[in-house]
Amino acid sequence: MVIDFGSISNLPYEFDKIFSGVFNPQQYKRRKIAYPPVNMGEDNANIYVHAEMPGIDIDDLDIAITPKDVVIKGERKLPEGRYFRQERISGIFQRIVAIHTNIDVDKASATIKDGVLLMTLPKVSSTAPKKVAVEIE
Amino acid sequence: MIEETRTNKDMDEIDPATDIVETENGFFMYMDLPGVKKKDLNIDVEENVLVIAAKATKQAVDGEIFIQQEFGSGDYRRRFNLAVVVDPDNIRANLKNGVLELFLPRKNATKPRKIKVSQSD
Repeated sequence: MVIDFGSISNLPYEFDKIFSGVFNPQQYKRRKIAYPPVNMGEDNANIYVHAEMPGIDIDDLDIAITPKDVVIKGERKLPEGRYFRQERISGIFQRIVAIHTNIDVDKASATIKDGVLLMTLPKVSSTAPKKVAVEIE
Repeated sequence: MIEETRTNKDMDEIDPATDIVETENGFFMYMDLPGVKKKDLNIDVEENVLVIAAKATKQAVDGEIFIQQEFGSGDYRRRFNLAVVVDPDNIRANLKNGVLELFLPRKNATKPRKIKVSQSD
């Protein structure tokens, strides 16, 4: 859940945002998806989970990995002060990413670089694809 | 006939989310630029227009095949008109963990001043 107080304190801007959403559907779509936005990929050895979370330290994050899913929990704190414009979302967020492969929980790792979280989740060796030679008789 | 199609996701331009906080000495601007490295960030001031342009680098690990994609490597671009109170020569910028922090100082003449009151009787 992300609490966005910006809508209360900056109402005229919210109208602008609706208009820009109408004229720029791509941007609108981006705003509506769960936070943080997640990309998922794989290669033969690992599952990779990328999440866009600028300005969040790895200490403010709580990542729980189970064999079935990854739970990313955290809090985004913004500096206090008199806000002239507020667009960045803040507050507590949680996202559960389902992993449809058996992964080795003990060997999983996570790093943050340039505001993007990268989790490397090694596949259990039995689920890595094996090549089977087929002979034609 | 073969026609060239443009389905490149990288072509999208994104307005980065920006906060502006006002203080006595100037304005702090915070801009979310996830995936942007220092070398891919350009900040220009031209006749009181501040232009911030950046490019997010591709996040994929070598050999990775995407299963699900919600964000791409995109171009960020945003323009701001600077108020006359801002001193454009002393803008400071710092990029940390995907957030660009800009400090736009006020011109000295526009800082709030306390006026001393003397009393004579």
